[in-house]
Amino acid sequence: MRDVVILGVGAHPSGRFPEKALKDLAFSAIREACSDAGVGARDIQVAYVGNSLGGLLTGQEGVRGQVMLQHAGITGIPVVNVENACASAATALRGAWLEVASGAADVALAVGAEKMFIGDSARTVAALSAVSEIDLSRMGMQFTTSYAIHPKINLKGRMKEYGWTMEDLAKPAVKNSANGALNPIAQHRRGLSIEEVVQSRVVVEPLTLLMCSSISDGAAAAVLCAAELAPRYTSDRPIRIAACVLRSGAYRLPDDGREDSAAVSAKAAYEQAGIGPQDIGAIELHDAMAPAELMLYERLGLCGPGEGPRLIDEGVTRIGGRQPVNPSGGLCSRGHPVGATGLLQIAELVSQMRGRAGPRQIERPPKVTMAQNQGGLLLGQDSAVYACTILSV
Amino acid sequence: MKLLDPTILRVFDDASTEPCLLGAQCGHCGTVVFPQMPVCPSCLRDDMMEEAEIGRRGVLYSHTIAHFAPAGFKAPYFQGFVDLPEGPRIFTLISSACPVEHGVLEDGMAMRLVVEPLADTPENREALTYKYVPDTRSGGKASHA
Repeated sequence: MRDVVILGVGAHPSGRFPEKALKDLAFSAIREACSDAGVGARDIQVAYVGNSLGGLLTGQEGVRGQVMLQHAGITGIPVVNVENACASAATALRGAWLEVASGAADVALAVGAEKMFIGDSARTVAALSAVSEIDLSRMGMQFTTSYAIHPKINLKGRMKEYGWTMEDLAKPAVKNSANGALNPIAQHRRGLSIEEVVQSRVVVEPLTLLMCSSISDGAAAAVLCAAELAPRYTSDRPIRIAACVLRSGAYRLPDDGREDSAAVSAKAAYEQAGIGPQDIGAIELHDAMAPAELMLYERLGLCGPGEGPRLIDEGVTRIGGRQPVNPSGGLCSRGHPVGATGLLQIAELVSQMRGRAGPRQIERPPKVTMAQNQGGLLLGQDSAVYACTILSV
Repeated sequence: MKLLDPTILRVFDDASTEPCLLGAQCGHCGTVVFPQMPVCPSCLRDDMMEEAEIGRRGVLYSHTIAHFAPAGFKAPYFQGFVDLPEGPRIFTLISSACPVEHGVLEDGMAMRLVVEPLADTPENREALTYKYVPDTRSGGKASHA
């Protein structure tokens, strides 16, 4: 396998853009990524396009990738459409990485885009439910439920087990909202207080509205290339993909003793990169419901069981801390246009590593970073998709 | 009214036989799954899964009150996971006989299966499915017997 680098990234702001179609969102991100990478449309040899809900929400069930790329002037090349729920974009990145790593292509494009504001939020919510196994969603299961009481996260259970309070659950949302307030592409750019988060409307106990990510339009893209060819296109610092891991959930019975799947994917990524959790200088992780960040700290090896709130109290995961987490604002502040999220995470990390993250820049640009993205829900008590990517310079 | 999914739930004409879920049991290693699947997720034998009537009783593993409902449901409503004595831990709604209030459910409670409309909404009023309700006949004590 060849070394693969990210030449450039682009991101469309997250939020509500009623005047823009899915392909317009994608184009904006693609154009920025190509410009950042120093490549033209003709340099792209293969593209992977992630999108999750477009079939149900726009009616364009097939060939969404080709439709988006044609709009961006990229035609003729192989295009692979990727649907992997909230991890569609991370999965697209992996496809592009494999193309270049294998030598099949020298320059590849990964795109993630989602259009969720369609003027009918009930339809958007229904489409979101459809990315879980339908046997669950037709019974009234919601993503919020899965974070609240599903065995794999069970925040309600953790409150009892670890003694976490509502204030503890609010801490990631508060920390990340402060980061999002500094991010020009964030959907929600207002710092929140613990009281506000705790006292906002309860959605599914114990989750309140301000702990949950919201409906969002958005897109992101990355241009990848073989490491040895990078100087041909850009003088900017190429960012190496040190690990790119994709896993699916396990079928678990209550007495399942196997390790959590997010932890398994992180460990595989650490192994592929030849590093450990202590080496990571910044992380973007999948906090679709912000308190999940507390559980993911454990699963990524940042702390022991129950220690998540302490990590935030001690400032470890704030911008300026030892291991900043979600400097972009995370899914709840930056936004969670589901099929774009994995590449929005990558775009943030590349910006941080290149020292161009503006007011939210980590003082010493991190040399090694991680993006953790997951999606969907299976009957077998696990998420459907787990992705973990490590970048290095 | 008809069953939302007759492959997961069985009701009997004889009213004295309680309804049950349809799972599958592996004839090789004994693993029970719900819903049915052709391959045992534990030992991966693909020719030994047999239909099994399960889930008449269970123990509440976790529960919450949802204050937001997707289309076809009415908030607030209970959602929970129930551990079945046969093995699986399943997602379930709670019988409409339970008032949706704190203190009505407690994790670890003994539960029993009932068949009810999925939700009291135009979309789901005619669709019968399984739900669970505290099993007062057991004295409220959890038992895997």
